[in-house]
Amino acid sequence: MPETDFRSVQFEEVDWSDTTCLITYGPHPEKLLHAIDAVGLLQWPLLQQREDGLLRIVCGSRRLTVCRKLGIEPVPCQVFSTSVSHLTCLRMAIYDNVAQRVLNPVEKSLVLTKMAEYVDRPQLIEDVMPLLDLEPSVTLLQRYEGLQELDSPIVDAVAGGSLHERIAFALRPLRGKDRLAFLKLFEQLPFSVSVQEELLETIMDISRRDGVAPRDVINDKEIRELRQENKRPLRQRAQDIRICLQARRSPRLTARKQRFLEEIRQVGLPPGLRLEPPPHFEGSRWRLEFTFHQPDELTVRLRQVARLTGQPAFRRLLKSK
Amino acid sequence: MRFRPEKLVIEEAVAETSLVQRVLAVLPHTPVIWVGRVKETKGPRDEQVLEIVKFRGRFIKPCPGTRSYICCGYQILNLGIKCSLGCTYCILQSYFPSPNLRLFANLEDMWQQLRDHLGSFRNRVHRFGTGEFTDSLLLDPLTHLSADLVPFFAGEANAILELKTKTTQVESLETLNHRGHTVVAWSLNPDGVIASEEAAATSLDDRLEAARRCQEWGYRIAFHFDPLLVHPNWQQNYTEVVSRLFSTVDPRGIAWISLGTLRFMPALKPIIQQRHPESTILHEEFVPGLDGKMRYFRDLRVEMYRHLNELLKKGCEDLCIYLCMESEDVWTEALGFTPEERGGLCAILDRQALP
Ligand code: SF4
Repeated sequence: MPETDFRSVQFEEVDWSDTTCLITYGPHPEKLLHAIDAVGLLQWPLLQQREDGLLRIVCGSRRLTVCRKLGIEPVPCQVFSTSVSHLTCLRMAIYDNVAQRVLNPVEKSLVLTKMAEYVDRPQLIEDVMPLLDLEPSVTLLQRYEGLQELDSPIVDAVAGGSLHERIAFALRPLRGKDRLAFLKLFEQLPFSVSVQEELLETIMDISRRDGVAPRDVINDKEIRELRQENKRPLRQRAQDIRICLQARRSPRLTARKQRFLEEIRQVGLPPGLRLEPPPHFEGSRWRLEFTFHQPDELTVRLRQVARLTGQPAFRRLLKSK
Repeated sequence: MRFRPEKLVIEEAVAETSLVQRVLAVLPHTPVIWVGRVKETKGPRDEQVLEIVKFRGRFIKPCPGTRSYICCGYQILNLGIKCSLGCTYCILQSYFPSPNLRLFANLEDMWQQLRDHLGSFRNRVHRFGTGEFTDSLLLDPLTHLSADLVPFFAGEANAILELKTKTTQVESLETLNHRGHTVVAWSLNPDGVIASEEAAATSLDDRLEAARRCQEWGYRIAFHFDPLLVHPNWQQNYTEVVSRLFSTVDPRGIAWISLGTLRFMPALKPIIQQRHPESTILHEEFVPGLDGKMRYFRDLRVEMYRHLNELLKKGCEDLCIYLCMESEDVWTEALGFTPEERGGLCAILDRQALP
């Protein structure tokens, strides 16, 4: 550790706009504010003296901000001299943070872009990415580097954890308005990350096929109405939208599914029996499902199944695929 | 010549091979970079480069069929990889890690493996094809390989060679002694599809004309409607293709015709979108098949196969028509029988194969 000076710092001595070593991004944890308010500053921020007399924050930007908010001044700090290199300061900032917590994806992106000024790409991939718990890969590096170029609501959502970075990466090639339309949809309704990925692909496919912007698919009348069905629970609304978009993307499959349900109704399956066609009607593996509690009930079910397989309507249904 | 490289990258280990000597004789002024071993790189293809390497794997591979669908059971004779014709749907875009067009020059190893293979299964019919991992005739003007392969198969009583191409580079076949053991095959699509999805390949008329010439030289020919692509007016357009086919070639000399709709591994989708943003082939709806490949919904596949089958049968009742990688139920619905009822698809094609 380079030599440090310990001193009390006034806020006016700090250049708050100097982000050379800033790798924190995202909402300030409430817990930190409460902790400093309750017991004061336990860990001193680290700053660096600049040639112009002002101080650059190296570690502890959040602590300093909280102190400013609480009016705690002067703040006891450690201060590096001007001779300490930028790279050393940046490494201090990185190690200080990764030792204490998991960085959010935007912070990882900040680390990678800042370190890229000092180390070559192979080193960035082999040394820095594992430090951030990232798989060392060029593609992943490029994705993280591009994260900060996204619209600030998306960057904030990723930093705050309401949007998964995988979705943000997938949104990157789109136009700004389209990205924000997706963000709004995903923030409004509780889709899992994998369903978000599925929706993204479905909406993009519809958009390309129909020659309309993705945002127009998201905001069209039918989807808008489903989104605004305030009486339905959020989960149900999310599921309705998913089904609606799938039907639009795959009209043949949807029509076939509906026809199958109609055929099943006409055959009249005994209650408690469930017949499932082969997935996507591909191949010939059907699935018949029933439950029972007692051996006698099983006997009844098996008899029902035997009778069913003899019915011409049922046989036709299996063939009609 | 459909492909004339502007740079050759050749491994020193194959410098003295006949294949390298032939290529150098055809391209005496093309710069050559000699390397110990060609590097396996990812990334975009260098359109100007032809790599010539020593192949360290098996030259003979079974057709990569899966248990879930009925496979034609032919053997791939692997003489090179990749292709410069750049069809939008080409599976080779996601198939091999190395991007460049590559030829295998250690043909002595290939001949040895071929002789061993034929020798160990003497009583079987062998159907070989070179058009699985590249176009069979794309590089023939450089390599003259057909001049070796065709006479070799002519001497094998139980074996045939199928050369699959989208080119018209058949000149070298004219004088070869084939004895009916080489089938020359073209993949066919309507003009509009060729223009948008196979833009660097030859036109439909040129393909059919090349097929006609091969028939004139006594070769049996074959056609692959693969991939069949859904597009506006596809019924009329394929009807037009079939009618031009029958008005150009003699159907009695057709060994077989295969039908296969577009299918691809999911990993190919983003590649097509990125490399061919103007292509519309991904607009149709797809479902994952039992082999993990994306396919048209089965009812649509059946409709396409039926349409083509009816047209082809109307033109010539005796044509041997088969489906590529389809399930029994699709065969039954589309063609009215399952291969099993006729001894299996391999047996059907084996019967058809020998002259
Ligand atoms: S001709 Fe065949 S191998 Fe060549 S690009 Fe087209 S599909 Fe691929």
